[in-house]
Amino acid sequence: MDEMYRKLKILADSAKFDVSCSSSGSGRRNSGRMGNAVMPGCCHSWSSDGRCISLLKVLYTNKCIYDCEYCINRRSADTERASFEPEELAKLTMEFYRRNYIEGLFLSSAVEISPDHTSERMLHALRILRYDHGFSGYIHAKVIPGTSPEIIHSLGLEADRLSVNAELPARESLSILAPQKTPQGIFSPMKQITNTLIERRALKGPGTMFRGEDINTERSYLPEGEKHDAFAGGSVPDDFTAGMIRERSLMPPLQAESVVPAAGKKFAPAGQTTQMIIGADQSSDRQIIKVSERIYRTFKVKRVYYSAYIPVVRSPLLPDLSVAPPLAREHRLYQADWLLRFYGFSADELFDDSHPDLDPDLDPKVSWALRNLDLFPVEVNQADMGTLLRVPGIGTISALRIIRQRRVSAVCADDLKKMGVVLKRARHFITCSGIYSGEKHFMPEMIKEHMLDADGGMQLSFFGQKTRMIDG
Amino acid sequence: MVDYLYDGTFEGLLTCIYHNYYSEPADGIYEKDRYQFSMLSRCCEICCDEKKAGRVYRAIREKISDDDLKRIYKIFASSSEKRENIILEYIKLGFIKGHSVSLMHGDPAVFAAQSAEQKVNAEIHRFKGLLRFSALANQVLYSRVEPDSDILEFLAPHFCSRFSGEAFMIHDVSRSKALISSSGCWYISDFFQKEVPLLAENEKDFRSLWKNYFDTAAISQRTNPRCQKRFMPVRYWKHLTEMQTGSGVL
Repeated sequence: MDEMYRKLKILADSAKFDVSCSSSGSGRRNSGRMGNAVMPGCCHSWSSDGRCISLLKVLYTNKCIYDCEYCINRRSADTERASFEPEELAKLTMEFYRRNYIEGLFLSSAVEISPDHTSERMLHALRILRYDHGFSGYIHAKVIPGTSPEIIHSLGLEADRLSVNAELPARESLSILAPQKTPQGIFSPMKQITNTLIERRALKGPGTMFRGEDINTERSYLPEGEKHDAFAGGSVPDDFTAGMIRERSLMPPLQAESVVPAAGKKFAPAGQTTQMIIGADQSSDRQIIKVSERIYRTFKVKRVYYSAYIPVVRSPLLPDLSVAPPLAREHRLYQADWLLRFYGFSADELFDDSHPDLDPDLDPKVSWALRNLDLFPVEVNQADMGTLLRVPGIGTISALRIIRQRRVSAVCADDLKKMGVVLKRARHFITCSGIYSGEKHFMPEMIKEHMLDADGGMQLSFFGQKTRMIDG
Repeated sequence: MVDYLYDGTFEGLLTCIYHNYYSEPADGIYEKDRYQFSMLSRCCEICCDEKKAGRVYRAIREKISDDDLKRIYKIFASSSEKRENIILEYIKLGFIKGHSVSLMHGDPAVFAAQSAEQKVNAEIHRFKGLLRFSALANQVLYSRVEPDSDILEFLAPHFCSRFSGEAFMIHDVSRSKALISSSGCWYISDFFQKEVPLLAENEKDFRSLWKNYFDTAAISQRTNPRCQKRFMPVRYWKHLTEMQTGSGVL
């Protein structure tokens, strides 16, 4: 037990910087033995940093052949090393799970010997958990760049969610800070996962970005032989620019068994995610959000996570150990990310040429609205869903409620608050039955000043916006 | 106008609503044991009548909607002192407006009902995560909880399908009742045990492993106890394994 204690400490400590802990998106049923997964996911605890604990997040091993500058487990670091045995990891997961401590397992790993060697061992552990122990709870498996496609496929058949880390938001940063990793190595497994999901007609896409669109078609398929690199600049390969290639039939013909997979096994039913470290290099917010947008549009991953860089290593290439992690910046990036996935914004709308970074004082939706005041105020009793969603202070739930109530009666000013509209922001941008109750001088500077006053200096709503329980 | 007093059961409440329409309009509905008598209001105790309750039950389903009936039942499980009157107002409006009552987000009666329901739903969701089992010596899983609302019944389907192969018991300490389940079937019964039963041999080991994991998972540079407490209110800590000091109490 003491040995287990030591291993868990080392391997959990090494895994804690991984951001994703979400357990949503999979409705895996109980196989008659132990566990299931619930669609909205479920958080089981919150650690003292306020992050949720949903999955048992550990590395399989922290012995690493790579030497990534920012990583505590890099080869040259003098740190204690440990590895799990597949059986003991399975046992630990089962015992935690039946006490309802966790929703499932998040298994990542450092690279021991080779990507294939490590991934095979992870796969072995997952198979023991699924078959020997009959575990049907949630599993999130990390895909190590450079792993062969066959092993990735097998991992996907056991896991609910896969993720490949983009690591950093630019090619140059990657080559300096993580010299053994390449864009090719990162984006080809991502592409493989997306294509497999399309073949099985199971790709869901990020948020409501592709709502009402069938994305499980040849149009979304990422053909072999073409480079798909989200770091590459230029225009976003969205539906319009890539239309031409899609005319050709590039997707292999769907075979009966690929539509109905062998033994009904699903491939990563909760899709894939990725994450980037923020603040370890010089990338601007604009570059970061552009990369995210390309990842969403091309690979249609469920989520991109942002991780404020925490200096754990002394290096001339990285911020000094005394630098505080850029938590406020991370928060703004998440807000911008939400605007991409749920609010119909494009990355270019969120920035103008003179400001490559998001405004630290105002949330990105307010900044956008102030730059586009000619579109406001909008009448809440007439605006369509898309327009309502662009009003600062109106979220997806309140917009939906406004639309619903309008079917039976007009929305009056008193109703808005009850619907969840944040009036201190929204009132400057709406009229309600023709009445405007915002800042008299309808000018960006005046409204900005007014809002900052109301918020006591800085409008940073860590808690103002409803955090959705479903996604960690 | 009269205050109706009922026995604390859902059927009793529906019987009062029946009388609101067929005897005399209600000024308010209160649980008999909690009622504060006053000089200014008249009260009348109502006996639970299954037939009358059944009529109201069916009328809600047919004239309002199935979803609204479920909503009403959830509000009844809430700990709000005003729950009976929230339900009364919602049903009164519902019988006028029909199923579109749930679209009227701005109406005070609807707002009160929706907020009360949301509170119960949030707590059900929370407890799916914040509930901790201990393995007992006889391999039964045992959990103690003290939720604000009476949610055992709503937790049952979740835990029964998840732990279909286990025998478990969820003990609501403040209400002295327990959800008891084995191989996917469940029932709720009164339960008065004060002490924690004998634990399995390895139980303490896994508790300390879990606590060890819990402490390790926090990133010290991001410490934010306010955020932690917002998601995991202190009133729930009493029964959370990871928030105990020492390895003793459940």
